[in-house]
Amino acid sequence: MHLLMMSMYAAMAAVVLAAVDPKADTTRQRLIHGLKVFGSFLGIGLLLSWILFPIPW
Amino acid sequence: MQPRDAVGDNIAARFTDRAIPFNEPRRYPFTQRTAAVIAAWLIPGAGHLVLGKTGRALLFFVTIVVAFALGLFLNGHLYWPTVADPPSMFHFDLITVLWFFAQIGSGLCYIGSYVLGLGTAPIPQAAASPTFEYGNTFMFLSGLLNYLVIHDTFDIAAGRKR
Repeated sequence: MHLLMMSMYAAMAAVVLAAVDPKADTTRQRLIHGLKVFGSFLGIGLLLSWILFPIPW
Repeated sequence: MQPRDAVGDNIAARFTDRAIPFNEPRRYPFTQRTAAVIAAWLIPGAGHLVLGKTGRALLFFVTIVVAFALGLFLNGHLYWPTVADPPSMFHFDLITVLWFFAQIGSGLCYIGSYVLGLGTAPIPQAAASPTFEYGNTFMFLSGLLNYLVIHDTFDIAAGRKR
């Protein structure tokens, strides 16, 4: 459930962040930027959860 | 007097220099800029529609409205700044001010839901749902993304980007 919600959150944020990217001129560049944002959200989220999991408080 | 061919070339060169390239950003008139920014806040994507960016308008509308609707579906709560209890140096409970700021960014999604009584259940009742926090997060996301979209609308209208 949590991974699904995180993926949906990342997908929605990636779509908007890619579309408003001022440096991207073509659809291909926007798509690549969106995929990077999506991957970053998921990757950093999973990394943080892995680091924080053993902390008991 | 110049030969006819030379004059023709010069005229062509002059027109080429003066013509605005098709893809070049352009500054929109003040009324259209203002209308676009207000529309962008009220209805996600409407600002881009006013500026003729139909594809992006549709993309923003679907993404932001779906995020907000998903938040409501997951029992998210519509926040309003509440008075701090116990009283603090700030009149309001600051976290509710921040949550309200995040959600009100979605414009009519927030206002319409409030008018229809969606997401207005008392917090203890709403928080009993296991998806309460997910719902809130999606509603914050929706409003905050729309702030980005409003900013993008302004940039396009001001001729800073295409």
